[in-house]
Amino acid sequence: MTVRERTEALFEKQVAELTASREFRALESGTAAPADYDRFLADVVRTHLKATEYVAFLCALAPPATSESRLRNLLEEVHHPGLLRQLAVGAGLGDRLPDLEAQAADDLRRLVVEPVLYRTLGEVGLAAFCEVVAFEFMLARQAGRIGAFLASHRGLGPVALRWWTEHADVDVQHAAEGLEDLETYARYYDLADEDGLAIAELTLRENVFLRRYFRDRPLGEAPAMPGVVGSTPCAS
Amino acid sequence: MRLVSATVYVLRIPFLTSVRHSLAGRTWSDSVIVRVRDADGAEGFGEAAPRPYVTGETPADVVEHLARVLWPAVRGTPEPDLRAPVDLEAVERLVPDGGAEVGRHHAARAALELAIVDWALRRRGASAADLLPPRRSQVVYGGVISAESPDSAARQARWARLAGLRQVKVKVGVGDDVARVRAVREVLDPDVVVRVDANGAWTPAEALATMARLVPWGVATVEQPIPPGSPEVLARVRAESPLPLIADESVVTPADADALIAAGAVDGVNVRVSKCGGFARSVAIARRAAAAGLEVQVGSHVGETAVLAAAGRHLAAGLETTAFVEGSYGTLLLVEDVSDDGLRFGHRGEAPLLTGPGWGVRVRVDRLRRHAQAVVELAA
Repeated sequence: MTVRERTEALFEKQVAELTASREFRALESGTAAPADYDRFLADVVRTHLKATEYVAFLCALAPPATSESRLRNLLEEVHHPGLLRQLAVGAGLGDRLPDLEAQAADDLRRLVVEPVLYRTLGEVGLAAFCEVVAFEFMLARQAGRIGAFLASHRGLGPVALRWWTEHADVDVQHAAEGLEDLETYARYYDLADEDGLAIAELTLRENVFLRRYFRDRPLGEAPAMPGVVGSTPCAS
Repeated sequence: MRLVSATVYVLRIPFLTSVRHSLAGRTWSDSVIVRVRDADGAEGFGEAAPRPYVTGETPADVVEHLARVLWPAVRGTPEPDLRAPVDLEAVERLVPDGGAEVGRHHAARAALELAIVDWALRRRGASAADLLPPRRSQVVYGGVISAESPDSAARQARWARLAGLRQVKVKVGVGDDVARVRAVREVLDPDVVVRVDANGAWTPAEALATMARLVPWGVATVEQPIPPGSPEVLARVRAESPLPLIADESVVTPADADALIAAGAVDGVNVRVSKCGGFARSVAIARRAAAAGLEVQVGSHVGETAVLAAAGRHLAAGLETTAFVEGSYGTLLLVEDVSDDGLRFGHRGEAPLLTGPGWGVRVRVDRLRRHAQAVVELAA
């Protein structure tokens, strides 16, 4: 299996986990509560509001062979914050936009001030690139499906759903460019295959879609703790 | 101002990957966070990392001991004077031992001591650096490689190499230890220090045989080769050992440190704030060991959250000498930490000193609630 195939397998696994998750299935089947749809939409908006900045960062690092596709990607991305605001307003979440803008900005700020784990900017860029391509990969396959259930179960119209339909219109082949660009990037910066794969594994060691789209979901399957029952006042 | 209330959060924060050693496998954090408050609403946070196989405590034991013994003893405590230079023996007296139960309940004791210190320092806007002034400009952490297959260990070693870690500890005492250490050594640069930790898995004979086989792989030290017990037995192993020995589970109290020193049982000690019953006692144990010429390692319990990580950071920054430092994995291991303050180390394991009030981390109570299996209000 090549590094590209292994990275693609990681992406596929993450997408499968997303669509098999309890939260996703509840939204798709219409059994989720209205508040769950709102939380999901707010998390999506928060996740992608600053995507232009991330993509611009990657553009700056793009090797010559991929600079054109990355620039095209940046141009596509530039108007997406507007579509995300349109999505929030269309879903009746316009009053939450200032908070979501602030949270998205803070997410970016924390990423910048957190200690850097890697040795070079090239390695940092590969980790960021990997996550961005993972979202491109997922949205090319699932955006239409998500848009459809938001239309049926949340009653969103075409204007509000434009961010989803634009991503759904991006065909899978187009999204595959991202995987090729990842490979080109690693080669251009002389990152050994095993190091590139290790960075991809570290970046995707947690499901990035579930983490960002369902921030309040119950985490893990930790069993109940013997001897500790519920939330109780405790007499001394 | 006096302490008026306390809340205990029994957490289970999932890990991003499982961690295994000879005594346990773990896929989530078992931390217990204590939050104390005064009438003004000023608060402080402490953390326990109870381990039945280290101090005999479970999270339920910690809650019970806090509720029955420790909190009633400190409720109403006036704000201690923690202005520099702080008398660490006075800090140690902030939380009682519990009469006949001296030597046990170390994790519970640590959590309450850390919370009271955090509260008192925060009231003045002062940092824990007042307790133990830093002696270095940053703290450098090593990594830990779980006791998995050689392939898995090699993958973990690749992550450690990418992170530029200069020291790595491999968990042994499970499966083919030599194959695991060899796999790690083959991935890492030759100048990276590799240590092993058996967590007391071997008999003395097994320890000597395995250590001899590890020598060609450039192992620097062996931690807790045999179960805690007689220092004399450990001393006999050390006398024949080809590698330096570090005590971990064998050194929980200052008296343990004295006994190991007297027996000449080890070359170093691993000090962990929760295991050792708090910050002040950890300093005391480390200083006794250093005065006897032993190496001091500042360790951590797997899955510690930002509170214990911060206390460990201050300890590692302020001790006169530290051979190795572990911990501060933060969100490299935890799905989510209890603070946004970015405690995890960066490239080469380097992490800055903490200068904010108290232990220097702002705990998010919403995260505590999110990960709490139980929230226990201790009686006012």
